[in-house]
Amino acid sequence: MHPAAWIFWVTCAAIVAFTTTDPFYLGLLVAVAWFVYAACHVPGPTARSFRVFLIAGLVAMGIRTLLVFLGTIELGSVVYAALEGMRLAAILVVFGTFNAVTDPFGVVRLAPRRFHEPALAAALALAIAPRTIASVHRVREAQALRGLSTARWRSLPALAIPILETGMEDAVTLAESMDARGHGRGTRTRYRPQRWSAAAVATVLAASAAGAAFIVAATTRTGGLHPSTFPLIWPVASPWLLAAIGLLAVPGVIGRGRDA
Amino acid sequence: MSGTVALRHEGVTFSYPDAERPALRGVDLTIDEGTFALALGPTGAGKSTFLRTANGLVPHFTGGRFEGRVTVAGRDTLQHPPRRLADVVAFVPQDPDASFVLDRVEDELAYGMENLGVDPGHMRRRVEEMLDLLDIEPLRGRSVRTLSGGERQRVAIAAALAAGPRILVLDEPTSQLDPQGAEHVVAALQRLVHDQGITVLLAEHRLERVAGAVDLALGFDRGTVTVGAPADVIRGMAVGPPVARLGRSVGWDPIPLTVRDARALARTLPARAIQPVNASGAVHVELLGVTAGYHGVRALRGIDLRLREGEIVAVLGRNGSGKTTLLRTIAGIHQTEAGEVRVGGRAPRPGIDVGLCPQEPESILFADTVAAEVRTTLNARGFAEDPAAKLHALGIEDLATCHPRDLSAGQRLLVATAAVAAGRAPVLLLDEPTRGVDPEAKERLARFVRSHAADGGVVVLATHDVELAAAVATRVVMLAGGEIVADGDPAAVLGDSHVFAPQMTRVFGPGWLTPEQVAEAMA
Repeated sequence: MHPAAWIFWVTCAAIVAFTTTDPFYLGLLVAVAWFVYAACHVPGPTARSFRVFLIAGLVAMGIRTLLVFLGTIELGSVVYAALEGMRLAAILVVFGTFNAVTDPFGVVRLAPRRFHEPALAAALALAIAPRTIASVHRVREAQALRGLSTARWRSLPALAIPILETGMEDAVTLAESMDARGHGRGTRTRYRPQRWSAAAVATVLAASAAGAAFIVAATTRTGGLHPSTFPLIWPVASPWLLAAIGLLAVPGVIGRGRDA
Repeated sequence: MSGTVALRHEGVTFSYPDAERPALRGVDLTIDEGTFALALGPTGAGKSTFLRTANGLVPHFTGGRFEGRVTVAGRDTLQHPPRRLADVVAFVPQDPDASFVLDRVEDELAYGMENLGVDPGHMRRRVEEMLDLLDIEPLRGRSVRTLSGGERQRVAIAAALAAGPRILVLDEPTSQLDPQGAEHVVAALQRLVHDQGITVLLAEHRLERVAGAVDLALGFDRGTVTVGAPADVIRGMAVGPPVARLGRSVGWDPIPLTVRDARALARTLPARAIQPVNASGAVHVELLGVTAGYHGVRALRGIDLRLREGEIVAVLGRNGSGKTTLLRTIAGIHQTEAGEVRVGGRAPRPGIDVGLCPQEPESILFADTVAAEVRTTLNARGFAEDPAAKLHALGIEDLATCHPRDLSAGQRLLVATAAVAAGRAPVLLLDEPTRGVDPEAKERLARFVRSHAADGGVVVLATHDVELAAAVATRVVMLAGGEIVADGDPAAVLGDSHVFAPQMTRVFGPGWLTPEQVAEAMA
């Protein structure tokens, strides 16, 4: 599918997550993102990074909630923090899905010429992150075979330094390679430009509807986007907005249909 | 040669930022179009720096102090950053994996042309041509991450060439390849020079793979360069393929660069008696019917292997034949699907019974100094020894206070080996140890390996470097498709192989492995 369609999808899904702290909306959003991931991900290292985004999301949610215990402990503030954390987790899961379903460079290549520097930085980050994640296991194993355990905090440098330094070296090599191959010269052409398929158009329309629904709900303060925690009440969800989130599953439905 | 100059260096002196001495000193040379040129010399002599001046990566990406002038196809590299030279020079770095920008092979081939604004129709045809030229058509839809070492190198070359440069610069293109893969790559480069008139400039340590194919040699020594015919330059240097080392020691002139040259000069030697493998040591490592795999690939199939104390075992085989999995299995970090691995009579404990120096030595280096790196291992294992002894064993005591990341590939290998060996595991495994390593570091490693075995240890080397195997191994195990296809004395196993025969065997027949053996017999 055209990378621009995925950019639309991730933007609208992120808008949903940003505009609400309602656990029903966020829960459904995570489920939908997972479904899209399962149906559309391309096998490879970026697909494996989905799990890392998921774990990062759960950790962020846990930390956000635990921080409350440093101050006054009231059920309302704990719930409030947990919902904020859940929103953060949902955003991470949405981006994890985006990362897994599309070739990150395909997206970077769409950047207009004047954004060449930021595009280069983004390309490097997108390329190096999954490789760095993959090297954690490799370095831990190599240190074990030298007799070093990397399980304790004290031995963190034995793990972190080789990973970071190798990651830096890889980034420099890639930057050199891109420059040596003419990145940022100006007039570009496209090899096999990707066409807008019906699936891509359907995805853009569905995602836009979902994003628009939440923007309208946020500006009109309807739909119970932010359940009250002072006083603590049971959150409610509007069936219309739940259906809007459901629209974000469109690329997943199409992707599954294609496999079958 | 056509006489048109492809690359000209005029009085080039260059120092990296904060370096004490220049990496290049007064380099003056011209390379004509259609030349196949080889840069050789020890690590740190300036080869890589020189290659990177050809498209302006030095000094545009490095900073530092640059004097003199480099012109490539008439353009001054100081005025033109690498991207402005992308249409005339292509650069393939040592580790092509880190240089791939896109995921699919076909897209990767088109990437340079997209940047140059090549017309889409022309681009389609050009990609097809490159797929044929480098013989990678079946790989077109694959992800570059799933390719073997040889495939990756060929894709990297095709991607570099697709943009239509006149000069192709490659840093150690065969260092990760098995002998057959290396031959394919060198043959492809030669074809480009002969058929397309492209200028190819490469750096290489394993001279036996390229010395016979090149027209011009650039011999580097501490930043200065000697340019000339390959035989003349190699004669004046301490390095060379085994046939050249033999020629130098027995006084042949001109010195041979290929097996064919050497055959013409050599008299016949009597067949050398092949000794059976000395099996006096006690069995220390046992693999019984071991089957193992990863990601659904069956990498080892029913391996039975017994290794004795005092043995130095070279494991040879194509890329992907199961060498690394075999090492990991012996080390006890790879789950077997069937069979049993015993080291010293029990399941191996990683780091205690078995130590492994990984393919990328830098993946275990993290301390501020070389001595601290070794001390870390000693402390972790609770040994109160002084690191100096371990450094001495590898001949790197003078590097004790250096930062490991500042060292050359060869020195890093020696430091990583010292750091692993400090754990005193009796079984020492080395995975592809001589990648990018110069002959001097290789010799120090060989000496250490021999002393480790002489002290009753077991050494297993997984390698593509047949000359290393010929020089140090007491036994050779050949893997193919996850099975052992040959196992025995190096002279017997290597002598019986077309692909893995060392140069001395090719010239003088089975039994002869190293130039030293032959020189002794001829004296």
